[in-house]
Amino acid sequence: MSAAVQTVGLRKEFPMGWFRGRVLALEGLDMEVHRGEVFGLLGPNGSGKSTAMKMILGLLRPTRGRAEVCGYRAGTIAARRQIGFLPENPYFPNFLSGAELVRYYGRLSGMGGRVLEKRIQELLEMVRLGGEAGKRPLRTYSKGMLQRAGLAGAMVGDPEILMLDEPTAGVDPAGSREIRDLILELRQRGKTVIFSSHLLEQVEDVADRVIILHRGQKLREGKLDDLLTRKKEWEVNVQGLKEEDRKELRGWLEKRGVQVVREGAPRERLEDYFLRSLPEEKRR
Amino acid sequence: MMGSFRRIGAVAGNTFLEAVRQKVFAVLLVFGLVLIYGANYFTEFSFQEQFKFLKDLGYAAISLTGLLVGLLGATQLIPGEIERRTILTALCRPLRRWEFIVGKYLGLSILLAVMIGVMAVAVAGVLGWKEAQLIAREGSDPAVAALIRAEARDPRLIQAVVLLEVKLAVVAAIAVFFSTVATSTTFVMAMTLMVYLIGHLQSVAREQWLESGEVASWAAKFFLAGVAFLVPDFNLYNLIDEIVAGNAVSWRSTLEVVGYSGVYIAVLLTAASVVFEGRDI
Repeated sequence: MSAAVQTVGLRKEFPMGWFRGRVLALEGLDMEVHRGEVFGLLGPNGSGKSTAMKMILGLLRPTRGRAEVCGYRAGTIAARRQIGFLPENPYFPNFLSGAELVRYYGRLSGMGGRVLEKRIQELLEMVRLGGEAGKRPLRTYSKGMLQRAGLAGAMVGDPEILMLDEPTAGVDPAGSREIRDLILELRQRGKTVIFSSHLLEQVEDVADRVIILHRGQKLREGKLDDLLTRKKEWEVNVQGLKEEDRKELRGWLEKRGVQVVREGAPRERLEDYFLRSLPEEKRR
Repeated sequence: MMGSFRRIGAVAGNTFLEAVRQKVFAVLLVFGLVLIYGANYFTEFSFQEQFKFLKDLGYAAISLTGLLVGLLGATQLIPGEIERRTILTALCRPLRRWEFIVGKYLGLSILLAVMIGVMAVAVAGVLGWKEAQLIAREGSDPAVAALIRAEARDPRLIQAVVLLEVKLAVVAAIAVFFSTVATSTTFVMAMTLMVYLIGHLQSVAREQWLESGEVASWAAKFFLAGVAFLVPDFNLYNLIDEIVAGNAVSWRSTLEVVGYSGVYIAVLLTAASVVFEGRDI
């Protein structure tokens, strides 16, 4: 079976205008995303993440190299049928309501009739925009609601791959957590999710594999476990260890020539603490 | 093929809906008020002159309003979507770029057709109102009443409406073509207006080309031929003025102009689709 997405030597240069030369946005990217995995494209602003995504979507033409989606050349209708896309900012026609947005994207994907109407209801329920919320104009939505409406729109054609460009940028922690949960749910349903982000903690929570880009070049690629695990260290979290036991344990370790790298009470992440502090109904 | 129709329909419907929700139709209210105000003007003149004034005013107002909405709408059609980046979420779908262009153009054309249609009905309504007023005042003589009715209920005005619609459809197609080349709405509007003006001088260029003979240089001939072939002849739509002035224009001539406009629209949309196909978004 072909990879969900494969790029070979993908390169993009943008002309700067007459007699002003060209700027290099992406340099020879080789990348393979397997079906059913959550894949993170990481890097600071201007590293080439969005350019790579746009070439995979067929919105930009590569200067050199090629990209394939489920075995189809990127940009072809067959390739675009396989992908749902959520842009970084809510670039949606804001005169539409949430339901109308999903209907519009469904029709653009060639859907119609009762099948489409049923799908709209399912998706709006899934992203918690069912009922009255789905009937409101998009211009009255919060950023988190817009992203959820956009996600419903991206999923309307039941694509194999979902491509999310900075899905949590500008979204509050609760909204961010929701999007993260949705990504995990999509993985459970067997979908491939490719997302870009510069919020590394969030990537850590959901990605199976990542690629790190910088100034258009690939710096690192691999499974998160392989990249992040300090193989020479070992960590044990315990409860109820008394002060004298701690001293004894440290002495025991030093006697065996083990270097204690760090020691102390583990800290909770601020995001988790914040969410735990909110009343139950506000967490979702 | 069905899929193409559905996708084009979705883009066209969305374009129309956007215009409706942005209250483009509010201009119709202004138009109606201008007409009603105009209808009560020149009451001291003969009824023929009053009807002529009303028809002139009505068709000039339809033409100007249609040109403004068509031009502003068409120049916003693609550059506006690129600027707001809503184009990204549309073109990443299984939608061909030519389907997007045709859908956008169709949406605008439907908008123009509805607007012109409503304005034409408003003109007919005001003419009918004037007819009732004049018959009540001067129509005691059946011969005079018949003349008033003939002036008010001129079926040739339908031809004028059809010609106006196709003229504006050509202007919109020119704007759509330029909007696939550039991102600046100012550039698109300037180029469209320039072609519109050249289109009114096109017949002069054609005559010069045909009659230049040995006198003109090959470069001048080439230029004149280029203008004659590439730019639509907007003088053809002067038939509208003839109709409004009360002169007879055959349906055959009207349909010839419609066919001529159709060919230009098809060529312009094909060229726009070809240019847009290779463009980075």
